[in-house]
Amino acid sequence: MHESARQPDPSLPSTRRRRLLAGFVGAYTATLVPWALAQPVKNGQHGAFLALSAIIAGRQSLDAGMAERIFKGLSAEQPGFADAAAALLKLVDERKIDPMHLQQTLDDEKSPLAPLPRKIATAWLLGVIGSGANARVVAYEHALNAQFVADVLKPPTYAYGPYGSWTRKPL
Amino acid sequence: MAESLNADYVVIGSGLIGSLTAMKLAQAGASVLILEAGPRYSRDQIVANFRNSPRRSDWMSPYPFSPWAPHPVYKPEDNGYLIQAGPYPYPAEYIRMVGGTTWHWAAHAWRNVPNDHRIHTLYGVGVDWPVSYDELEPFYQEAEEIMGVSGADNTGSPRKKPFPMEPVAEPYAMRRIRERLDPAYKVVTNTTARNSRPYDGRPACVGNNSCQPICPVDAQFNGGRAVAKAEAAGVKLVPNANVYKLESDAKGRVVAALYYDPNKGTHRVTGKTFIVAANGIESPRLLLLSSSDKFPKGLANARDMVGRHLMDHPSTSLTFDADEDVWLGRGPQSPSSINTMRDGDFRKEHAPYRLDFTNISRVDGATTALIAAGVYGAEFKRRLRYSAARELNVKTVLEVLPHPENRITLSAQKDGMGIPKPEAHYFIDEYTHKGAIRALDDFRRIAELMGGTNLRYTRDGEYANNQHICGTLSMGNDPATSVVDKWGRAHDHENLYMVGTGVIPTAGTCNSTENGLALALHTVHHILGGQSGGSASVQS
Amino acid sequence: MISHAKVAHMKTMTRLLSGLALSLAALALCPSLEARAAGTSASDAQLVQQGKYLAIAGDCMACHTAHGGKPFAGGLALASPLGNIYSTNITPSKTAGIGNYTLEQFTRALRAGVRADGAHLYPAMPYTSYAQVSDADVKALYAYFMHGVAPVDTRAPETKLPFPFDIRLAMAGWNLLFLDDQPYKPVPDKGELWNRGAYLVRGLAHCSACHTPRNTLMAEDASQDLGGAYVGPWYAPNITSDANSGLGGWSEQEIIEYLSTGHTAKAQASGPMMEAIDFSLRHLSNNDLKAIAVYLKSVPAIHEAADTKAVFDWGSASDKLDTVRGAAWPSNPDQMTGAQLYDAHCASCHQAQAQGSFKGGLPALFHNTATGRLQTNNLVLTILDGIHLPAQGNGVVMPGFRDVMSDAQVATLGNYLMQAYGNPAGKVTAEQVAALRKGAPAGPGPQVDLVLVARVGLVIAGLVLLLILYLIFRPRRRRA
Repeated sequence: MHESARQPDPSLPSTRRRRLLAGFVGAYTATLVPWALAQPVKNGQHGAFLALSAIIAGRQSLDAGMAERIFKGLSAEQPGFADAAAALLKLVDERKIDPMHLQQTLDDEKSPLAPLPRKIATAWLLGVIGSGANARVVAYEHALNAQFVADVLKPPTYAYGPYGSWTRKPL
Repeated sequence: MAESLNADYVVIGSGLIGSLTAMKLAQAGASVLILEAGPRYSRDQIVANFRNSPRRSDWMSPYPFSPWAPHPVYKPEDNGYLIQAGPYPYPAEYIRMVGGTTWHWAAHAWRNVPNDHRIHTLYGVGVDWPVSYDELEPFYQEAEEIMGVSGADNTGSPRKKPFPMEPVAEPYAMRRIRERLDPAYKVVTNTTARNSRPYDGRPACVGNNSCQPICPVDAQFNGGRAVAKAEAAGVKLVPNANVYKLESDAKGRVVAALYYDPNKGTHRVTGKTFIVAANGIESPRLLLLSSSDKFPKGLANARDMVGRHLMDHPSTSLTFDADEDVWLGRGPQSPSSINTMRDGDFRKEHAPYRLDFTNISRVDGATTALIAAGVYGAEFKRRLRYSAARELNVKTVLEVLPHPENRITLSAQKDGMGIPKPEAHYFIDEYTHKGAIRALDDFRRIAELMGGTNLRYTRDGEYANNQHICGTLSMGNDPATSVVDKWGRAHDHENLYMVGTGVIPTAGTCNSTENGLALALHTVHHILGGQSGGSASVQS
Repeated sequence: MISHAKVAHMKTMTRLLSGLALSLAALALCPSLEARAAGTSASDAQLVQQGKYLAIAGDCMACHTAHGGKPFAGGLALASPLGNIYSTNITPSKTAGIGNYTLEQFTRALRAGVRADGAHLYPAMPYTSYAQVSDADVKALYAYFMHGVAPVDTRAPETKLPFPFDIRLAMAGWNLLFLDDQPYKPVPDKGELWNRGAYLVRGLAHCSACHTPRNTLMAEDASQDLGGAYVGPWYAPNITSDANSGLGGWSEQEIIEYLSTGHTAKAQASGPMMEAIDFSLRHLSNNDLKAIAVYLKSVPAIHEAADTKAVFDWGSASDKLDTVRGAAWPSNPDQMTGAQLYDAHCASCHQAQAQGSFKGGLPALFHNTATGRLQTNNLVLTILDGIHLPAQGNGVVMPGFRDVMSDAQVATLGNYLMQAYGNPAGKVTAEQVAALRKGAPAGPGPQVDLVLVARVGLVIAGLVLLLILYLIFRPRRRRA
């Protein structure tokens, strides 16, 4: 259930002690995702995951409930995921890596962190966590790839509209 | 052994063609039994499965796999059920479940062009059909009325009566293609078993764009609806009945079908006439499994023709970015094509083909490609929208000639029920390859006319399989080179008939379902002594 | 010699005979005159056309044509709490229909509910509404039914209600109490459009026949005019001008759109209202529909306390997909959640957040009276049987789900829809679904066995009569 904005998330620290993403990212990352800096986080690892998600998804805001489910899912699928996320964010910050060069850089260096951006991207953009026989869906309609085209298209299996409505120019 | 069933007609396989065959026989007053290897599922389950599938582009993923009725699975890993003997793979997908494979099809409902029936006489390739286009014409019409086919009169197949429905409304993207390709190419709306108005208790299409793997509203006809019609006519359907052998007597009459239930308990079903309708791979497999002392090579196989002449419509394709926003994904998945290369003198030299334009949404495909390329951040959204708006794809639907070396045999390996697996031997010859080469000219010109950039061709010599499994039970006048006669009856067995796409002797450029259904209706007409079927009176 | 008397008698006889001969000749000519007049006169053809339009407005077709039967040949069974009432053959057949009716007889049947043979019609025939129809319009209707409809010589089944309701004469008493048989009188200073609307709504369109609740004697309760009532299991809703419970918040254009297409964002017709729209209302002229809208928006408001806001204003876009994505179905299908059922059956058309398609052609389920009204029978019936176009080959607009969902599932789904997208005080139970699935003939609430009541009432009346007679006629003591 998506939490109402009015109800505080009981898993987060109380308002007085709540930490914001701004406190967990370096100066470089802050320039990449200025809109995400006010997002509340639980701890450094959670913050790293949110920051990486914001960088990779390039999205103005990320749904808190979805972030929770993806973080839990990726952590379950990969032991040490949270630490790896923190390490990756540190790398991005220290070396000021452009999001568009991130994957290439990690692949070229054969970094053990190379699979991480792909996993985060697949979870947010396609709504899938895991691979092969262990893959499972965490979102379809709310996956960001559906959201990014929702003004023009419905996700497959959803009706476009009454008969003939697809003949007109889309936009 | 559990209680035995008996019927006038025992049909093996509950796919679209088997079920409608059963329906017609029941409507004539006979007792009819369908034995179906797989289980029953409902449409809503498949819809829910699709949305929860982590592999949405794998159209088999929403369909449950039943260990007691195995079918080929290729993703995430090949389950090794359909053995690929090569040299070229034949990775056909089909569904062993009540209703069969047309739960997921694009509902193409073509007729042959008349010359498709005589390519040997006219072009010196392949074989002639034992049934002419004119003989089949009323059964095409009946097939179209049963399925509910919408179309226009501009696709090269003559007809005596109008289509049951007007063509489905043309998506904006297809209109732009048609307008820009004119007059170099005439793009036509496909004739499809898809409702352009409410028909037969089903609504008109509302553009779910998921025809493959499932139409959520039954606007397109499918095997599930065929089963419903059969059962409404009084057909008894037994699911989870994996028929592994047909018993015959010394005279060659089939006397019983033996099937396994999911616990591998054996059951014996008797009947007067047996009709095998278990698709173009499982049907020959069953015949080959039904050997006896009298028929050591299997039923209907005295001249070693069962399983031979395996064919499909392989596809090559071109993907490119148009120079305007058209947005595929609005409306049905496969609305338009170019039909001018279905026939001509060139068939002496190379395969004919249709050119299909896809309207399948690009969103998931583009997402996967962009993630693989490491495109993140704001750039992802920009490029996703660009691909979703501009990416187009055109593919060939090529004819493959009947070669006896292309065949389905029994493997030495056995499946989970202890039954020998089917094995595919297949190659694609130079005739078809030359057709693919010729089509490259069309691909180039089409891209040019659409201002195309970023052209991505499939590799030369690589073809996609379209699951149009035909030829393995070829119909013909000469028993030396065919399995069934023009009425679909096995040459050597007077109470054994075959229906389905397996009996089709040459593939043409015609997605096989309507051909198979028309031939099945032609068969039923004969079985019933010419008393039913055909929209006009037929001289048998 | 012939006497004067005889001459006088013969003169009289001659006059009589020639008069008779003339009359006979006139009668002989009459049919052909009549036929000539009907067949060739442009104004008569126009009258027939006008009558046809009025017959559509009155929706005669919907009741007087059996499913799959010939137009106006009757035989449709109308379920009443007293038993089936069969519609009659009103084609101009002389053996099986109204071919022998004069204009007077036709008028009396239409307005007073009395057949040509003097028998009374049951108010299943809404003659209490048709009583409002003007003389000119009745004449046009007569012309249409006599000359514009093909005769069908098959008799419709007879209606046989249980005693004492088979005593049609009793309707005479009922009519005395409840029938206002005067045609509509325009109200001055209300304007032509309003009066036209009132004329149609109260008369031919007979809206009150469904939308006004009835008293125990099955007569419309005028104090609750158009305030909403059950028609069998269907609820014909409040269409007064109330802002929350009725049409007060609808624009005239929205009402016109609803009546001419069967759907707007606020509401979609199904069941008997879709029949009325498909056979009748969508054929009315735009001006007539506007008139109806103008009138309806002036009908005195009747407010249902439970409608704390407008019935088309409940709910909002939302989903519980995070409980559905990646979750397996339970092994017992009756334990599927509302969100899972919605995903499997409804979302494909109504969309993931029930927001409907881009331009609302496939409607949203929130801000929709389908989930905003507390009477949930219509919601259940629509889930079970979908929406069809009965005048257009029964074409499917929305499919039905009775074959793919159990009673428990429909109840779960119904409650989910009311909670998430409608008035959360609305409830659906599995018992309700089971009864509706079987075609329960009545709305919810305690059912009065009218036949028993009537029979008991007769016995009591008989006893009272005996008592009165005794008191009048008992032997008196002799006066001394």
